Amino acid sequence: MTEDRHKKAQFETEALVHLDALFGLALRLTGGDAARSEDLVQDAILKAYRAWDDFRLGTNCRAWLMTILRNTFINEFRSQQRRPSAVEFDEVADRSVFAEVAEEDPAGGFFERLIDDEVIAAIDDLPEEFRIPVVLSDLEGLSYQEVSEIMGIPVGTVKSRLFRARKRLQAKLHSFAREMGYVS
Amino acid sequence: MPTDAPMIACEEAVARVYEYLDGELDAEWSERVRYHVEVCRKCYPYFNFERIFLDHVRSQHIAPEHSDRLERRIREALRNEDAASA
Ligand SMILES: [Zn+2]
Repeated sequence: MTEDRHKKAQFETEALVHLDALFGLALRLTGGDAARSEDLVQDAILKAYRAWDDFRLGTNCRAWLMTILRNTFINEFRSQQRRPSAVEFDEVADRSVFAEVAEEDPAGGFFERLIDDEVIAAIDDLPEEFRIPVVLSDLEGLSYQEVSEIMGIPVGTVKSRLFRARKRLQAKLHSFAREMGYVS
Repeated sequence: MPTDAPMIACEEAVARVYEYLDGELDAEWSERVRYHVEVCRKCYPYFNFERIFLDHVRSQHIAPEHSDRLERRIREALRNEDAASA
């Protein structure tokens, strides 16, 4: 009993302090879906709590929790991937934003005029199979190899998804910038 | 890289733009692309544009988000977990 109490107290000091960080990651992975993010954080926390005795103190608790959350999310995502997605056939990747702005704004000044909320909204808006590599690679700073292992897809697929995701993102940001009058 | 190394074509450089900017190329290819972009008037502005775009995306970090409701929910879930295992 006292051991349980001790476990709980330790878990609260070591793990629950990372709740906000976990929720932040969940929101980006789910594209801003708060309800789904809450479920995800709860699943991850309970898994961590059950495995707490095996977790060695001194290893990075935050990184461990983030990994559990990421894996929980990806497993759910993969189990839903039964049919080929419509995004395999999109044409957005053919559009070159650079060619469109090369005359007027070749150094992409409009990117810097966009506020963070607009960039996050554009990332949230990506189809899931594109959003995940962007979140893992660009926001979390993971390598292609790490993204490949987490998502269970070949490195070549990571490359092509990142390529297409970034082209979509560019097109979206360019449209935003146009609406705001940052670029004509 | 010796300057007498063969110059790669624009398409070869452009095809590797993200791998190059992501630091995912091996040393040899990274050097080939770097050298090409340094001297190619066509590729330099394009690579510069992509770099600025990526820097901007990467400067977004995953901000911690607080939710009282979530915290209450988690604490309750932990209590239930203890009750179930007791
Ligand atoms: Zn060139």
